[in-house]
Amino acid sequence: MSEVTNGISRRSVLKGAAIGGLGLAAGGSLLAGCGSDSTGALAFGARTVDAGPTAQLKALTAAYTAKTKNEVTYNATESNAFQNNLSQYLQGTPDDAFQWMAGYRMQFFAEQGLLADLTGVWDTIGDQYADSYKTAATGLDGKQYFVPQSWYPWGLHFRKSMFADLGLSADTVTNWDEYLKMLDGMKKKGLVGFAAGDKGGWEAMGTFDILNARINGYQFHVDLLAGREKWTDAKVLDVFKHWEMLIPYMNPNVLDLEWDGAMQLLLQKKAGSMLMGSWFGGNFKEQSDADYADLSIIPFPEINPMYGRDTVDAPIDGFCVAANGTNNAGGVDFLKFAGDMEGVQAMLDAKDADGKSIPMTSANKGQDTSTYDAFQKEQLAVMDEAKYITQFLDRDTRPDFAGPVVGPAIQSWFKNPKDVNKIVDSLQAQWDALPPLA
Amino acid sequence: MSIDVELQTAATKYRNKQKIKDRFISLFIGIFAIVWIFPIIWTVWSSLRPYKEVRANGLFSLPKVLNLSNYADAISRMDLPLYFWNTFIITVPAVFLTLFFGSLIAFVVSRYSFRWNVSLLLLFTAGNLLPAQLVFIPVFKMYITLGKAVGMPRLLYDSPWGVVLIHVAFQMGFATFVLSSYMKTVPKEISESAMVDGATVFTHYTKVMLPLLRPALASLGVLMTTWIYNDFFWALVLMSTDSKRPITSALGRLQGEFVTDYNLLAAGAVIAALPTLIVFFVLRKQFVSGLTLGSTKG
Amino acid sequence: MNSTAMDKVKPHRRRAFSRADRTTLTAFVGVPLFFHLLLVWVPAFLTIVLSFTYWSGISISRIKFAGLANYKNIFFDTPAFWEAIQNNIIWLAWFAGIATPIGILLAYQIDRQIRGHKFYETAYYLPVVLSLAVTGIIWNFLLRPDGFVNGLFGRDIDNAISFFGNYDINIYVILTIASWRHIGYIMLLYLAGLKSVDMALREAASLDGATEWQTFKKVIFPAMKPVNVIVIVITIIESLRAFDIVYIIYGSSAGFPILGTLVFQNIAGEGASMKGAAYAVILFVLSIGPIIAYLRTTFRSDVQ
Repeated sequence: MSEVTNGISRRSVLKGAAIGGLGLAAGGSLLAGCGSDSTGALAFGARTVDAGPTAQLKALTAAYTAKTKNEVTYNATESNAFQNNLSQYLQGTPDDAFQWMAGYRMQFFAEQGLLADLTGVWDTIGDQYADSYKTAATGLDGKQYFVPQSWYPWGLHFRKSMFADLGLSADTVTNWDEYLKMLDGMKKKGLVGFAAGDKGGWEAMGTFDILNARINGYQFHVDLLAGREKWTDAKVLDVFKHWEMLIPYMNPNVLDLEWDGAMQLLLQKKAGSMLMGSWFGGNFKEQSDADYADLSIIPFPEINPMYGRDTVDAPIDGFCVAANGTNNAGGVDFLKFAGDMEGVQAMLDAKDADGKSIPMTSANKGQDTSTYDAFQKEQLAVMDEAKYITQFLDRDTRPDFAGPVVGPAIQSWFKNPKDVNKIVDSLQAQWDALPPLA
Repeated sequence: MSIDVELQTAATKYRNKQKIKDRFISLFIGIFAIVWIFPIIWTVWSSLRPYKEVRANGLFSLPKVLNLSNYADAISRMDLPLYFWNTFIITVPAVFLTLFFGSLIAFVVSRYSFRWNVSLLLLFTAGNLLPAQLVFIPVFKMYITLGKAVGMPRLLYDSPWGVVLIHVAFQMGFATFVLSSYMKTVPKEISESAMVDGATVFTHYTKVMLPLLRPALASLGVLMTTWIYNDFFWALVLMSTDSKRPITSALGRLQGEFVTDYNLLAAGAVIAALPTLIVFFVLRKQFVSGLTLGSTKG
Repeated sequence: MNSTAMDKVKPHRRRAFSRADRTTLTAFVGVPLFFHLLLVWVPAFLTIVLSFTYWSGISISRIKFAGLANYKNIFFDTPAFWEAIQNNIIWLAWFAGIATPIGILLAYQIDRQIRGHKFYETAYYLPVVLSLAVTGIIWNFLLRPDGFVNGLFGRDIDNAISFFGNYDINIYVILTIASWRHIGYIMLLYLAGLKSVDMALREAASLDGATEWQTFKKVIFPAMKPVNVIVIVITIIESLRAFDIVYIIYGSSAGFPILGTLVFQNIAGEGASMKGAAYAVILFVLSIGPIIAYLRTTFRSDVQ
């Protein structure tokens, strides 16, 4: 069983983010010099069909074409379909560059020889990123295979107005007991305290991640996902015990809603809080600016004072080049642009259908964090506070374990929380029975 | 004589009782039928109402506006003409080739007695019943390897031809079976006189059998078109570019993209279903006779 | 054996084929056979072989022999497999006990030409003509947390009846949707078969004073034996192969495990392994019985 690397020291990330504005001019001029050899037209595969991110990516490809005169064919696929098809896609007829995620998910395909080496790109633009991003982009063989685009933290989202109604604020929900008190208050008002949806099988992994990290610490979490700790350990049972305490405050139809269903509960003011990644800010903004301004995020409350709020799931999304693409050189050249501040700026400048700007938290040091709106600043604050960063369960462990095994296991736990012992026994048995990676 | 009259009155009484029973049955089935098509009616109804209005006034509100704006929107935003074109270039060759190959085998098997005739029929029919997932990975690998070998990676993978071929390979069995059943009903004299006249096998097929097969080919064609049009599994797994997929596979993506505006999605679904619905209503006789040929042996 | 039969029945057929004829015949049979073998039987065989290996589906050079490891894993270490089998069995029971009989009865009544039978025939068959993708969308509408049915009960998104997420009822919801299609299909198959039943038989039965139900049970049903077998076989095969509807509603998540989705989950996507091939083989083995029954019934007269 191979090691799964994960975890980035948060300190480096913060250092990078705090130095705003660096590299903008320098990075720009560096690239302006090259680009004399045309690498030709290429194809780009986007992993989203949502309006906001599509506008950003199209702005990126347009800027690239404007600069290098290389045509970019834009191919979009819905996220789930793209993920399901990735193995076939990469073996068959992939686009030259495509959107993907960091973590073991990327390292696995690099190891199979399906991703192109991007070390050269990092030599050029590496100084625009904190070291931790480079670590996240590195494959199992020490070379880089990934260029980061954006990140988002998983945290507790809520509406400031609803908290105010209860006489609460972000500062008053910092630990578990206070959180339960808040949930109680919501329930008395007839609201759902903790909106949750797990129809897709992956959403609840975020809750598991954060509870495990809060109760048992970052190292245990990492070790558990790598198989060095057992699922049958009392520590894991403790996680489920705490999780069970949240069930009375959840909506009854957890397994019938996907993440956007849970988001709707928050959007329609039917739920008090939701643990989710912050990518959906754009959906709130589409509804109205007032709703977006009302949205807030804090780190998930502390449970074990030994660990505080030191860990956060912060998946990094970005780009890769497919080894089987027809124009590797073109793909690499495009990623050089996309990773450079020039490309990032094109994405940041993109506007949605109503002419409003689309929020994006770039991994690039060059993004001026002082231009962050309030919600983005709060996301940054969540990241700031954390000492350790993980990528999310289904990116941090073996893919044939995360999706097919852990996902259904959590779903069956929702069906019957009392079965927890049977479930963890089964999880451990299935981990032990995993075939060697071929 | 009186016995006859008694029998007659008894028979009439029985028939009247049955008529009343029949009225109830008809009523019951009728109500059931309306419930049956209600989901379709609801979808069409939803497609005629703008999403904003439903959101504001509720699902059961009386409509202030009832128009085809969702349809216009769907056509422009969902890229429907492109997907329909993709469907067309997959369905038409697939149906044609399936009917063609099926007729070839059916012809040989029913007009010429060879030892392996029955085995051949068994092979093809069994092949039709195999689960698609059983063959997917090797077929995928074959397509890619062949494509790479001839320097055209998109020869079969991510290409309509790859999807056409797999449809043909699978549906050939059913076509063969149906056409051979049909051919058994065609009198042998016609073939025998052709052979006595010294016709080659080729002429026998083209000039004698094919014209006779026309009604069966029509019915089978209608059935095949519907099945192949409605498939979404093969295009989903053997194509990676969404813009090349037929409309049914693309619906999955559209469902993700327009998940909140379901009135728009309803319009898209109705449009996607329209071709098969039209074929069904217009060519219903062929449809039913196609199934007849397939379900019972002549 | 066949040549003797040929001798007896068609003596004038025994003449040599010309060269051209032989080429034509070879091509006529060879080309279709080639495609069929290459894209159906060869891959089926390969998948069976692959089920005994460890492989992520990517580099052929990395295939490792695994013996029965995948099967052992499935049978002993994968609770989802047993849930799936259970669901498939319930599916089969529902189809065999409820959906198919309803289809048969509908066919019978419609064949009797009760009032409105033309409309009914169309109405009940309509769902069969729709693509399963469209069917999924239609039913998603109705059963969404903010859809029609929940609206009827006056429930909103936060306390909606969880049709797909509530594991006590979701199987019946899925089966209802599947039946919506299956019943129409069986109905039409049976209708087609009924047309071939001698009218005289029916009239004789009714003259003898038999009720409709007795006519059906004692006269019509037995006369439809070949169609009955086909209907049974299709019922079994459809229950085992079920995949499309569940995929449309649950995507590739494991919300509702059945054999078909287990195959897909383990073969497509990043977590691919040859466990998927093993699942496919299990699915195939379970289908062999019905397939053979189908072949025997349909080709009975030929094989004799």
